[in-house]
Amino acid sequence: MAFRSDTLVEESRAAALPRKGAMRRIFDRNIHAYVFLLPWLIGFFGLTLGPALASLYLSFTNYDLLQSPDWVGAANYVRIATADPKFAASMKVTFLYVLLSVPLKLAFALLIAMAFNRGIKGLTLYRAIFYLPSLLGSSVAIAVLWRQLFASDGLVNMALWQLFGYEGPSWISNPNYSLYTLVILSIWQFGSPMIIFLAGLRQIPADMYEAAEIDGASKQRQFFRITLPLLTPVIFFNAVIQTIEAFKAFTPAFIISEGTGGPINSTLFYTLYLYQEAFGFFRMGYASALAWVLVVIISLFTAFSFLSARYWVHYDD
Amino acid sequence: MTDAVTSSRPSLGGQRSPIRSVLLHGALILFSLAMLYPILWMISGSLRPQEELFGSSSLIPSSVDLGGYIRGWTGLRVSFGQFFWNSLFIAVLATIGNVVGCSLAAFAFARLRFGGRNFWFALMLGTLMLPYHVVLIPQYILFLELGWVNTSLPLIVPKYLATDAFFIFLMVQFFRGIPRELDEAAVMDGCSPFRIYWKIMLPLSLPVLATAAIFSFIWTWDDFFGPLIYLNDINTYTVQLGLRSFVDSTGSSDWTALFAMSNLSLVPVFLFFLFFQRLLIEGIATTGMKR
Amino acid sequence: MSMMLHRRSVLSGGLAALSLATLGGGSALAQAARLRMLWWGSQERADRTNKAIAAYKEVKPDLTIDGEFAGWSDYWPRLATQVAGRNAPDLIQMDYRYIFEYARRGAIAPLDDHLGKGLQIEDFGQMNIDSGRVDGKLYGINLGVNSSAVFFDAAAWEKSGATPPAMGQTWEEFAENATKMSENKPKPGYFATADSSGLEPSFENWLRQNKKSLYTPDGGLGYEPKDAADWFTMWSKMREAGACVPADVQALDQLNIETNPLTMGKAATAFAHSNQFVGYQALNKAKLSVTSYPKISKDAPSGHYLKPSMLMSVASGSQGIEAAVGFINFLVADPKGIDILGVERGVPASASMRDQLTPKLDEVSQSMVKFIADITPEVGDLPPAPPPGAGELAFVLTRTSQEVAFGKLTPAEGGERLVKEAETVLKRK
Repeated sequence: MAFRSDTLVEESRAAALPRKGAMRRIFDRNIHAYVFLLPWLIGFFGLTLGPALASLYLSFTNYDLLQSPDWVGAANYVRIATADPKFAASMKVTFLYVLLSVPLKLAFALLIAMAFNRGIKGLTLYRAIFYLPSLLGSSVAIAVLWRQLFASDGLVNMALWQLFGYEGPSWISNPNYSLYTLVILSIWQFGSPMIIFLAGLRQIPADMYEAAEIDGASKQRQFFRITLPLLTPVIFFNAVIQTIEAFKAFTPAFIISEGTGGPINSTLFYTLYLYQEAFGFFRMGYASALAWVLVVIISLFTAFSFLSARYWVHYDD
Repeated sequence: MTDAVTSSRPSLGGQRSPIRSVLLHGALILFSLAMLYPILWMISGSLRPQEELFGSSSLIPSSVDLGGYIRGWTGLRVSFGQFFWNSLFIAVLATIGNVVGCSLAAFAFARLRFGGRNFWFALMLGTLMLPYHVVLIPQYILFLELGWVNTSLPLIVPKYLATDAFFIFLMVQFFRGIPRELDEAAVMDGCSPFRIYWKIMLPLSLPVLATAAIFSFIWTWDDFFGPLIYLNDINTYTVQLGLRSFVDSTGSSDWTALFAMSNLSLVPVFLFFLFFQRLLIEGIATTGMKR
Repeated sequence: MSMMLHRRSVLSGGLAALSLATLGGGSALAQAARLRMLWWGSQERADRTNKAIAAYKEVKPDLTIDGEFAGWSDYWPRLATQVAGRNAPDLIQMDYRYIFEYARRGAIAPLDDHLGKGLQIEDFGQMNIDSGRVDGKLYGINLGVNSSAVFFDAAAWEKSGATPPAMGQTWEEFAENATKMSENKPKPGYFATADSSGLEPSFENWLRQNKKSLYTPDGGLGYEPKDAADWFTMWSKMREAGACVPADVQALDQLNIETNPLTMGKAATAFAHSNQFVGYQALNKAKLSVTSYPKISKDAPSGHYLKPSMLMSVASGSQGIEAAVGFINFLVADPKGIDILGVERGVPASASMRDQLTPKLDEVSQSMVKFIADITPEVGDLPPAPPPGAGELAFVLTRTSQEVAFGKLTPAEGGERLVKEAETVLKRK
């Protein structure tokens, strides 16, 4: 994974250490660091690594959950690459979802967070209300509600008819539009990135603005010179995390299409397909192979983000 | 979005003209309604006769009946109060675990220099990428071997071992925003890394710690797949599992009770959110102060 | 020290995962005096089942049964995980589709040896016993007799001046009546019937009337592109005539009660299973009636057969098979058990049990029992067992029917596509 060490720690600082006792210090630091890392290391080796390796092994087998796995070599990967139309279909759905939902959700969350960051009356109440949809999580109620909103005689079409005299289709069950209702659901649950942006804005020291104010910098200038640069680590975090989450998105499609990915595979998210293969059709080996393909794809995206981060993410250290 | 000022003092906000203020509030209120609609709908759903639930899209029930709340609370063999208690127990312990475990790891990644750091960091991020469903069975077997199945340990202990890389990454990004001069000065004074972590990093990171606490609590509360796999005995069920027991789409279900209990299940998370979001605001006083 | 412990657990976890070899063994820990039972269903089923467990405690005081349950979609990953982890519950509620998967992979035990001993189910009738057989062996005990059925709002049909569905009606008559009803619809956006072209049980019923089947006994496909094309054509005509709901309304249906066009107030007729009648009535304001499927011609077979709404199976690794069988017998052949369960899982298979239970039921449940009695003289043999991969074909049918309904394929192309994809799925291991 591309990760630039010198953005994390000042190289110069290490170099500037007095030579005497340098070895001891480095050793000390290693010990200290690993003490801090100890819980994570135990968790990683004790709980995470074993199951991950097991799934990697299973991806080279036929495993039907009920009987022992049979080694089949790379057959699962070969089938993914050459003979699986559903792989291509679910990839298309997933990429479209990532490309649409991530930027929109982030822009929305940032916009609202900035609005909240000015001192307005009733801030606490608004913030709580705006977070409400995110509290609902994957509740069964969401599925019912979304149908009430986006069916042919749903609230959305009623509004369109009243306002524009437009008779809309059944958005949620029309294969041309159903994915977009899930994108809207994702944007509607913008609470988490909003909170993270808000925390990021809170961390920007007020005296930087005061200094800028004294220098006579305009608000616009302050935004582009102070707010935006200092917020880049948080923007970067949200972008990376939301992208990973969107690639792995499962619950919205699962609850709204009741696990079918329908109509006509229009909401067949990649992980939903994987889940069908694993638990619906007893092909855990194949599902594991699908999972590792996804890991490679997400890793490429993440690596690219970290590479690009050199050019636009501003760290204070 | 021009006056992005960190302070929430009214003196700064007061510079806006009354018209802009009205417009802003109008927009926010309209927007709030869009956000609130589902809740109103769920409340209405919990009060109305069941046969009206799916055929009608009106918000106003034809008649009001609180029976769903009574059936929901007492209808299962175990009262819903027990589920609330179980969920609360798991969510509080998991939240503490996440904040403690992840902040330790994040401090090492953000501030300490050690061999193999980039390697570990990449691996840590890698754990975010594997879809949950394919590690489910190996993980189940692991916990079965440990004798933890049918206890809440598989839902709590991993959090103390910082297995949720999301929070580590989150905290790393924020820790790096804290001015380095502060801990450099502390090092000069002979502070150990543990003191720096405890005395400088944590107090200055209240916003992100509060954020992590809010998310851990809500996500643990909302999680149902983990409890579904690891909790078998209905006495140990969480709220989410209890909720899903009302409805089975292949047979007759008590939807009214489902909506009634769904509404109640939002109360603790909402209160938790209200309480902890204050820490988000208080954070500024400390972080913004010195530089 | 804790490092050591965890390294060992990694090893054991890794080994356990890698040597998934001994899987499908069921629970090694279960003792005869304590059984675990897992079923899917909602609160009402849980209440009844727990009551039955408590009542059985009086019969067998030294046996404890721990009940666990989950909703349908949560049930299967939970069961699969437990079986894969060799921690399967002793008593497993089974679905007619999944029983083939679990039995052929050795996860559940054959119960033939208990027939006539612990299991007193002779008066089920051969068909109701055989419907729990896989490859000749008895793997599941019928918990309720079930069949495909048509539910409809008779008042809505009559108000429009159309003849409602009835036993013996032909598809032609049904389509004619439905068209008439929709022309005179009581409210906009309301139609005579749901579109069941993508519903596997409906397609199967129609194939059986045509003396075909979904699968052949040797695991091949029991129909040809032309059959599927004819089926799609019939529904396309109804769709064009406005007799059934349009494609985007039908696509809202996720094959469950709460999303069916009947429940959603968009259609007067639904195609479902008879054991869901109580569930449908609970979510519908209008009084519902139940009848059999329309037929391709007056003298064609009905296409119906009696299948179990659900079955009870025993994990193959259970240490308490005998005790488990005893409890199953209590549920299906003991008046005490029958009275507690009622018809919540379907109509009891045992004729004597059904007779003693029926007078105690409410009107809605009674009409369900009556329906099963009415069609019993008309039912045909059990269809050939579904081959591995059959589960996926239900999805393929639904998707292809949607492609036809949304006009992305003609009915003829749909028929070709369905058969081609189905054959690919069946060939795959």
